[in-house]
Amino acid sequence: MRIAVLMKDVPDLVEELEVEDGALPLDDMSFVPSEWDDQALEEALLIKEETGADVTVVAIDTGEVDGLMFTALAKGADRAVKLAGGFSRRLANRQRGAVLAQYCQTQGFDLVMTGVQAIDDLDGQIAGWVAGNLEVGHASVVRDVRAGADTVKVVQEYSGGKMAELELPLPAVLGIQAARKPPRYVTVAKVRQLQKTASVETVDVSEPTAPTLSVRKIYKPEAAGHAQMWGDDVDEVSEKIVNLLEDKKLLRS
Amino acid sequence: MALRGWLMAITVALIVVSLGLFLRRLNTIFQVMRKARPARRGDHLGERFKSLFTNVVLHRRMFRITYSGVLHYFIFSGFVVLLIDIVETIGEVFFPGFTVGRILAPLVDIWVILVAIGIVLALYQRIIIRPARFHGSDEKDAYLILGMIGAIITGIVIHDSFYPFVAREVFHVADPVARSHFLGYALSGLWRALGWTGPRAASIGYTVGYLMDLGVVFAFLAYLPYSKHLHIFAAVPNIFVRNLGPKGELVPQPIEDSMAIRTFQDLTWKDIHDLYTCTECGRCQAVCPAYAAGQPLSPKMVILELRDALNERIAWGTVNDPTQPALAGGVVSAAELWACTTCGACQEACPVFIEHVPKIAGMRAALLEDGNVDANAQKVLVSWDRQGNSFGQAARKRSAWAKNIDVPIKDARKEAVDWLWFVGDFAALDPRVQRLTQLIARLLHHAGVDFGILFESEVNAGNEALRLGEYGLFETLAQKNIKALNQAQYRHIFTTDPHSLNALKNEYRKFGFHAEVMHYTEAFLTLIDRGQLAVEPVGLTATYHDPCYLGRWNGITEAPRQLLQRLGVNLVEMPRHGAQSFCCGAGGGRIWMDETGIEDRPANQRIREALALPDVRFFVVACPKDVSMFSASVTAMGVEDRLRVVDMAELLAVAVGLPDVAESDLRSFPNEAGILS
Repeated sequence: MRIAVLMKDVPDLVEELEVEDGALPLDDMSFVPSEWDDQALEEALLIKEETGADVTVVAIDTGEVDGLMFTALAKGADRAVKLAGGFSRRLANRQRGAVLAQYCQTQGFDLVMTGVQAIDDLDGQIAGWVAGNLEVGHASVVRDVRAGADTVKVVQEYSGGKMAELELPLPAVLGIQAARKPPRYVTVAKVRQLQKTASVETVDVSEPTAPTLSVRKIYKPEAAGHAQMWGDDVDEVSEKIVNLLEDKKLLRS
Repeated sequence: MALRGWLMAITVALIVVSLGLFLRRLNTIFQVMRKARPARRGDHLGERFKSLFTNVVLHRRMFRITYSGVLHYFIFSGFVVLLIDIVETIGEVFFPGFTVGRILAPLVDIWVILVAIGIVLALYQRIIIRPARFHGSDEKDAYLILGMIGAIITGIVIHDSFYPFVAREVFHVADPVARSHFLGYALSGLWRALGWTGPRAASIGYTVGYLMDLGVVFAFLAYLPYSKHLHIFAAVPNIFVRNLGPKGELVPQPIEDSMAIRTFQDLTWKDIHDLYTCTECGRCQAVCPAYAAGQPLSPKMVILELRDALNERIAWGTVNDPTQPALAGGVVSAAELWACTTCGACQEACPVFIEHVPKIAGMRAALLEDGNVDANAQKVLVSWDRQGNSFGQAARKRSAWAKNIDVPIKDARKEAVDWLWFVGDFAALDPRVQRLTQLIARLLHHAGVDFGILFESEVNAGNEALRLGEYGLFETLAQKNIKALNQAQYRHIFTTDPHSLNALKNEYRKFGFHAEVMHYTEAFLTLIDRGQLAVEPVGLTATYHDPCYLGRWNGITEAPRQLLQRLGVNLVEMPRHGAQSFCCGAGGGRIWMDETGIEDRPANQRIREALALPDVRFFVVACPKDVSMFSASVTAMGVEDRLRVVDMAELLAVAVGLPDVAESDLRSFPNEAGILS
């Protein structure tokens, strides 16, 4: 079985986001691997450990993705492929999906996995766009991936504590919600060693034509209300709580 | 002559067989040591001999527990005197008429008495006192050895008591020292009374004593290398090859490949030697904070588990068999390894200078390489890698504490400063500690000190990354700091954080960084003594907690005490202080790990230790992690009205009379009202 894990890096949200001239100054920001992609990679590596599957990590070269690719190799991925085409970090998700599908089309992967979402893809579009372009089955917000010979079983969670077990024919594209185990740690030394002994393959791809949206304005949300501080007098605070609950009709008499 | 011939034959046979077995076993161990990693321990010969004198002849560490020290000294010195007896006894048989003279002979008897007392004390300790530190030790072996020593000294007295008759009746030589062996001579009175003085009776009696002495001595020699009592031979060389580098330096040389310890070949030869030197005395276990907290770690058991596994693999010829369980996670469990706070109390307590912490850190490295690490600690490792701090905060936030205080703080990267302040993660980013960091800035400003910081170019010093076994990350962090430090211009450098101090002072040497790094207690002591900072006595009674990475690993115990004295603090010491201080439980990355399984937090135990002191209301700390750890304990234990955790910076601020601090709650603390003038 051949598995592709689609990965990317996203702005590190520990940094305060600045808005300059109606846009994010992407060049000044630091980037970290998208945490959901890390989950997808971990799930793929677990499948590799169970079935001996071959895991290829794929990322679009929009800057410095080598770090995350070598980290994936150090964790146990077999190959790392960087898709080059002079792409900028502002590449729209629909275009991303098309670029990734373009490459996957040539490779015949049995299973394509990626993070269910990313901080710059809150709708989780990537898995859907890739599946659509490849014209194969797709399931998202899934976990617990059990790969068989011709099908893959996944668990999808619904509201109200209901779960569904789905079975998809291969090839398929999955948007992974969480891996069965927390993503593994890999030491800095091991990553460095891989940087010396392994290499990231670069594959040139053409920029696909895909309809995109244009951003009109980026701005920080304006505060609508604010918290009220009730002080630290226990009697006073408890009375206020009771009053509030009564006002909201949350107390039974 | 038949008796002499027989005894000579049996003596030669005993020597050949026991020495052969002894050397064969030693050679086996030596071969394992040869295949182990290198360690440089042949330098500083003068200091090494001096160390032998203080730690072998004077028994310095042994006497920290007076009872055990005394009993051990009796038995230990007996072994020296045993050599006189062996020479004399063999000499008597092989060279008729041989004596050791009237001076040495009675020494043997004196020491027989001392050894006998030692054995009685040892038995009393093991049977009646039963110290908890022996838990897990092989007590059968201890009794067997005590029995053998008992047999030897009994044998000495018996053959000495029969020798005058054997000399006269069988060997036909004079025995000028008969009376000098006063114990044997006294006993010979009994044989005279019983009439056992003829050649036959004397020969039998002498042979019994001879075999009880030399027979057991040689049996002992053959048995020793299989027993914990190999320390009789191994302790002296182990003390000789002890680590004389900086105590706080975990890794002496840059590591090319990996610091992971998976097999016995990954240990150094000194590590292997350590295993065979351990006497299972359990002093390390008695001082271990993890053990005291009810966690699965005992430093003694780590050594014993390794030794027993090595012995088993030697017996089965599988030392180099890669299919054997890994040392990390197999022989020594992951839970044991991750419980260590790397406080170093074990190493400080060990009378034979066994180094537990490097072994634990190396085995942690192996676990880490396999991804076996606490989830929270993993997050911190990732934060260090990405943001350069353990809080997962943006690098720019590192100097946020410096805003909103009316103190100009220079950027040491851009302009020369007199004092460079390496702030450290906790002091810079922990909200509970930031106010203290601000106090220090104000104090420096007040003293007119020209100081600066490295702002976002400073990253975590890497002390804990290294102790979690993440050498590569430590190196990355160290190189970033060294780059920033090399770009800065400064005359002195100090840090508020003992953990950073340890890294800067001891772990950066291998990368060529050799500045004299001071702790802030040292820096402020210097400022006061130079007259740059005028202080008024604060006049309160307090106890002081030595941080492990300040007191134990770096020997800085005096400066904080002198500073307290300058500040007019009446210091009441806790029983465990200085290099014998008790860890707060935060070190070695423990502060970020899951606390499941901890029955009694080390910090709580420490607070109880302070609460037991009379009239002590203040618990002075000098480490940002201690501020968090002990404040949390005081709150959790509900003793806020009895004990207040104060940082040295707060005392300094009061003593200096910084505005708005002089009226701080330090003054109004219960029972202390009016004490502050």
